[in-house]
Amino acid sequence: MTPDIGQVLFCGSFGLVIIGIFGIVLTNHLVRIVLSIALLETGANLLLVMSGYRPGAAAPILVDGTVPASMVDPVPQALVLTAIVIGVAVQAFMMVLVLRVHTAYGTLDIREIRTLLERDITHAAGVPLPVSPDEPLAQPHTVLHRGAQ
Amino acid sequence: MNAPVLMFALPLLTAFLLPVIDRLSGLAGRWIGPLVLVGNLLLGALAWPHLQDAPLVLAMGGFRPPLGIVFYVDRMAMLFAMGVALGVLLLWPAWAQDKDRVRISTLTMVLVTATTGLALSGDLFNLFVCYELAAISSYGLAAAGGSAAAGAATLRYMVISSFGSALMLIGIALVYQATGTLNLAQLAVLSDALAGPQGLIAFIFILLGAGVKAELFPVNAWVPEVYGAAAQRVAGILAGIVSKLALLIIVRLLVLVFRQPEAQQILLVLGVLGVITGELAAWRAQDLTRMLACSSIGQLGVMFVAFSIPGPAGVFAGLAVALHHMLVKPALFLLAERWGGALTRLPGAAQKSPLAAACFVLLALSLVGIPPLPGFWAKFLVVTAALGQGTPAYAGAVAVILAAAVIEASYLARVAAHLYRRVTQPLSANRQTRAAVTVATCASAALVSATLWLAPLGNSLQVTAAQAADRDSYIHNVFPQGVQP
Amino acid sequence: MRRYLALLLLMLMALLLLAVAMQFGFGAAPMRVGSAINSAAPGQVGAANIVTSVVLAYRGIDTLGELAILFTAATAAGLLLGQRPATTQPDPEAGFILRHAADLLFPLLLVVGLFIIVHGHLTPGGGFQGGVILAAAFFLPLLARPASRFRHGVFGVVEALAGAAFIGIGLLALTDGGPFLQPMLGKGVLGHLVSAGTLPLLYAAVGLKVGTELAGLMAGIAAYEARDP
Repeated sequence: MTPDIGQVLFCGSFGLVIIGIFGIVLTNHLVRIVLSIALLETGANLLLVMSGYRPGAAAPILVDGTVPASMVDPVPQALVLTAIVIGVAVQAFMMVLVLRVHTAYGTLDIREIRTLLERDITHAAGVPLPVSPDEPLAQPHTVLHRGAQ
Repeated sequence: MNAPVLMFALPLLTAFLLPVIDRLSGLAGRWIGPLVLVGNLLLGALAWPHLQDAPLVLAMGGFRPPLGIVFYVDRMAMLFAMGVALGVLLLWPAWAQDKDRVRISTLTMVLVTATTGLALSGDLFNLFVCYELAAISSYGLAAAGGSAAAGAATLRYMVISSFGSALMLIGIALVYQATGTLNLAQLAVLSDALAGPQGLIAFIFILLGAGVKAELFPVNAWVPEVYGAAAQRVAGILAGIVSKLALLIIVRLLVLVFRQPEAQQILLVLGVLGVITGELAAWRAQDLTRMLACSSIGQLGVMFVAFSIPGPAGVFAGLAVALHHMLVKPALFLLAERWGGALTRLPGAAQKSPLAAACFVLLALSLVGIPPLPGFWAKFLVVTAALGQGTPAYAGAVAVILAAAVIEASYLARVAAHLYRRVTQPLSANRQTRAAVTVATCASAALVSATLWLAPLGNSLQVTAAQAADRDSYIHNVFPQGVQP
Repeated sequence: MRRYLALLLLMLMALLLLAVAMQFGFGAAPMRVGSAINSAAPGQVGAANIVTSVVLAYRGIDTLGELAILFTAATAAGLLLGQRPATTQPDPEAGFILRHAADLLFPLLLVVGLFIIVHGHLTPGGGFQGGVILAAAFFLPLLARPASRFRHGVFGVVEALAGAAFIGIGLLALTDGGPFLQPMLGKGVLGHLVSAGTLPLLYAAVGLKVGTELAGLMAGIAAYEARDP
């Protein structure tokens, strides 16, 4: 009993979404986060297309003027066209930001970037950096290791 | 009557053509943005009298709903559309250096288009597209400072926001799968199909998606960082204007489509959590920008609580708080342009800019909710509407809001004390710019006049809210002959 | 701690999604608007590709918004990239295969891209798909010969005018007394190249805008030199 291609895609879309969500939260590398977002959006787009699916129906295009017996829903396909372009735009801009952050901070590890970001903001505001009371006094506050990834 | 469509199309046309215009004439490039915004205000004023009896329903492209997209222009929508134009006009990013000026003006015009579309649209996916447009222009504006911190903060904001957008897309897919339509009025007719668990999950996903911009708990982790690293005017635009329009999506959906009580309860819980976390974080903040940012989260939490109250009373209360916040917060952020930074740097500021300090105190008093200022009446509306529900959950929410007001008063008083502290050594605080003082004075004047004319303004707002909360008339206006398919 | 909380939230979300999947009524789409459009579109709009009639006619405002999103992303990227001009030497020329393949592929890509744009209302495709191929076509010479100058000015003007053309066509309908973005110019014969009124023109504007925009964006990123760590 082979599953219908529609069912395979349907399950696949949920799988992609879950993989994407886990990727965003669990990974520390900026580029992998961007890729996880791409996966998440792909899964969401696939789900949206599948919401218009009818087994055995044809694509909503009239070839030689003949109207097929049943056609799938054209609206989700138009919606997904828009959503894919939106995703591309956002991912492109995100990669540009990753480039800028890498140039400025020298690292692609999101934990280090957060720390450097906090340091920069508090420094600009003139507020002293919050010091944890558990931190050993012997080590002075140094700039974090700015290694290339 | 095409004025609302022009309010959407003309800023976008300006944005597309701005590089060419600027190349032809630098003067035109500098002034065409504000001119178009003034034009938007005029168009809104032109259309306003037509909205008194019934809302305008404009079918885009001439295709009748539900096949095409409609712009549903009722009083609330036009109010917010004009508010966007006015707010961005006052907060126009005049701080940009010359080489970036064209691009930043372009991004601002696109933001105006997007937020106007959010106010006017009556189609679920069109709301999503306008939301994404607002998102990407706000990413650009937030990162525009050029500093590394701005870039990193924007990156974090983008990750959270993209996650939210994907969730929103999944929510829309669920809604479409259950009902087969995207038109808000037809969704309202078919809202029984969304009364079950699939509908509730769809609502949660759309709520989390739109909630990123509306600074909903728990997707508001980006707020302190972005407001701290971006330019203060951009922070003012984001906090004052964009967040309200994102909230508007949720309000429309709650009123029209998702009417189950679980949806309202979730909104109530998240609102209360937002109030608690926001106000506590603001109390602990040591610089003015972070304080204002976290205070924004708290105020938006109050709005969520208000909108979670079913019926016109909830919409009325929420609208009152939203409009008040839209007036006060951008002015405060504009004042924070020069006063941003550690509170310890503030002593002596009142001596250098006495008018600005006085305005700050007035705005802060209204924010906390001291009578007879409009802020008090807005919070009073929320409290009475919530207590009118009679359930312990809402009573708890009222207690939280009142406690939050006390906390607000304490940290804002701390700032005012710093401002007015007399110093004899050379003053370290910066003097306010003339633009900031002008805008702050205008905002304070608006507050005072609102206090004087409170009754007629309140009545007008109540009519607006009643019109917005009237689900049946919405459906009837879009489909006078009933829905076909 | 934060990590475990996030994981917990994610588990919840995954469970929620699985619950949704169970309930999703897959394959039985209600298709209210979909069926109506399927039956009405060929007569009302005149495009053989019904998805195109949805994209450009029924949901034209969404396409305008989508165009604006891409434009905004490119503008914002230009804002950030432009702040650090390339000071070091460009990369050396690519090898024999890439150079000559690029020379061969450039006209091919142009033709394919233009074909897909122009036939968007007849076959699957359209402005966005063709525009991306055009962008690849414009960018390919830059990959093969990084020292060649990319004409940002010309591309910028074409992009601006193409975008304005889209809105302009929409506003023209206003002057005719109709609503914004109403298709004009008569429907023509279904299935012919010249049919569906202004739809092919709209897609041409979209394709040019997307192509020049993405090419400019990629050229900007290529010119941006990362600092040595």
